[in-house]
Amino acid sequence: MSSSLELLAEIRQSSERRPFAVLKLAEPLLNTSGVSRAGDDAWLVYEQVFVSAIDEGQIELAKAVLVILRTRFPSSQRVKRLYGMINEAVGHPDEAKTIYKEMLETDETNVLASKRLIALLKAYGHIGETVKQLVAYLDIHNNDFEAWLELSNLYLTQSLYPQAAFCMEEVILQQPANHYFHLCYAEISYSMGNFDLALKEYLRVVELSTDNVRGFYGIKLVADRIRDVRAKPKRDQNARIDDAPQPATLDRLSQLATERLVAAYNSANDTCKKTAEEWLKA
Amino acid sequence: MSGLAESTEQVMFLDPAIRNWVLFPITVIMVLVGVFRHQLTILMTGEPPKPDIRDIRQAKALIRGQILAQSNSYIPLASFNERKKFLCSAFEEGVYLKNKNAKDQSPVNLMADPKNMEVMMDGMKKQMMGIVPQTLIMGWIQFFFSGFILIKLPFPLGLRFKQMLQSGIMTPNMDVKWVSSLSWYFINLFGLRGVFSLILGGENSADGIRDMTAMGSMGAMGQQSGQPQDYNKLFMAMKDNLSIVYHEWDLANIEQRVFVKYGKQSRVFTSAAK
Repeated sequence: MSSSLELLAEIRQSSERRPFAVLKLAEPLLNTSGVSRAGDDAWLVYEQVFVSAIDEGQIELAKAVLVILRTRFPSSQRVKRLYGMINEAVGHPDEAKTIYKEMLETDETNVLASKRLIALLKAYGHIGETVKQLVAYLDIHNNDFEAWLELSNLYLTQSLYPQAAFCMEEVILQQPANHYFHLCYAEISYSMGNFDLALKEYLRVVELSTDNVRGFYGIKLVADRIRDVRAKPKRDQNARIDDAPQPATLDRLSQLATERLVAAYNSANDTCKKTAEEWLKA
Repeated sequence: MSGLAESTEQVMFLDPAIRNWVLFPITVIMVLVGVFRHQLTILMTGEPPKPDIRDIRQAKALIRGQILAQSNSYIPLASFNERKKFLCSAFEEGVYLKNKNAKDQSPVNLMADPKNMEVMMDGMKKQMMGIVPQTLIMGWIQFFFSGFILIKLPFPLGLRFKQMLQSGIMTPNMDVKWVSSLSWYFINLFGLRGVFSLILGGENSADGIRDMTAMGSMGAMGQQSGQPQDYNKLFMAMKDNLSIVYHEWDLANIEQRVFVKYGKQSRVFTSAAK
């Protein structure tokens, strides 16, 4: 019993989304009312079970848990948000929206409600409205880098590369040591045509995370592309290569990338290795 | 009793009744009072005031400026300049200020803001909770337990302490190591912190030391933390800060750093050509 509770607590800590595991762990607890043994944590367990239940589509279980939570916390905003979520789950977006808007009217600063509203709009495909709400949220809470990430992704779905790049820059300002964010920024820059910036950012990725294969692919592609653009400048009007390094450096970089990629694929299985080598030779 | 006290230790035998009826009771009473204070403080502490959304926005805008100034080397020059220009003009015009009209006025009168009043009252209540029991116990000890020696300290002290620690007993020769019950009170005051954190958990309001520091800095602190921060001034300061930031892009010589990292080059050349 107590080990299930511990496992559930661990899953809560790591904020992983594992509905099946949670339900499997929690089912015996709920049936034998072992949840009460968790003491104060019991309500956290109930909330966790609720979210997993609606993830798995077990609406009846979710409703039962919700009733328990409502009896204990009758006027809680946190429980109200769960009502909103279950409405979303069964396909009543308007009710959910009303609930979230009510929550925001009572308390403007409620982050849970703002985020759920944005998630609701995104789930139903109203991208324009989502972006507007997210921008309003970020106007106040501009240190929420996950929100900036979300906004960047939204812009990318609409192929608005400059805006997406701006959002990634905000993320990088707050998390400068995370190589993944630099990678996203590099790829956005590459897609926009800022090859000089893309090259630098790919190099940064490779500096922060040794032998990062995506990084090295990026370096090779960009280095080759810069060489092409230099050879035939008229073909690509959008390309920005003013700050790009000298051809000699480019060659060295391309070589380094090839070398590291070969080393990385050495330990892969044969088909992978062969395909990579073919591509690298070309 | 103390005739031979020049070179050897003074040896005195104390009545065991002193130990039973003074030493233990003082400690027990202090522990009980501490626990009582802790529970009372929990009852009396009101909920912290809910921040207004415009306050949050103000505070976070300032943080944004700070982050930009701090991490400016991780984004390219153009992006930095863009943000610098935007933030500086925003700070100048007071876009993020809570109430723009108050920008040019002097800071609001402290008393007028009802929310601030609650916070101040809470703070004062907490301080009263700390001071009153201490004073009471000290007076009680002075009244009941003065005029005799209670314990012998294991470490020597200077002569000046004699007056404070042996307050009821006028003897010129007695070693300062022998002290009265008031000093036992002080020892308990500092020592029971560990006991309280065991009984009451980490954050407890039964801490004697915290009260003493609070008493000491009451004058200075009260003024400073109570006054609502003048965000306009803070924004102006941040704007000046940002305008003098020298942007040096971290990725300027990254090619070299990568070559060094992967063993293609032995070290970074600072002024090498690209």
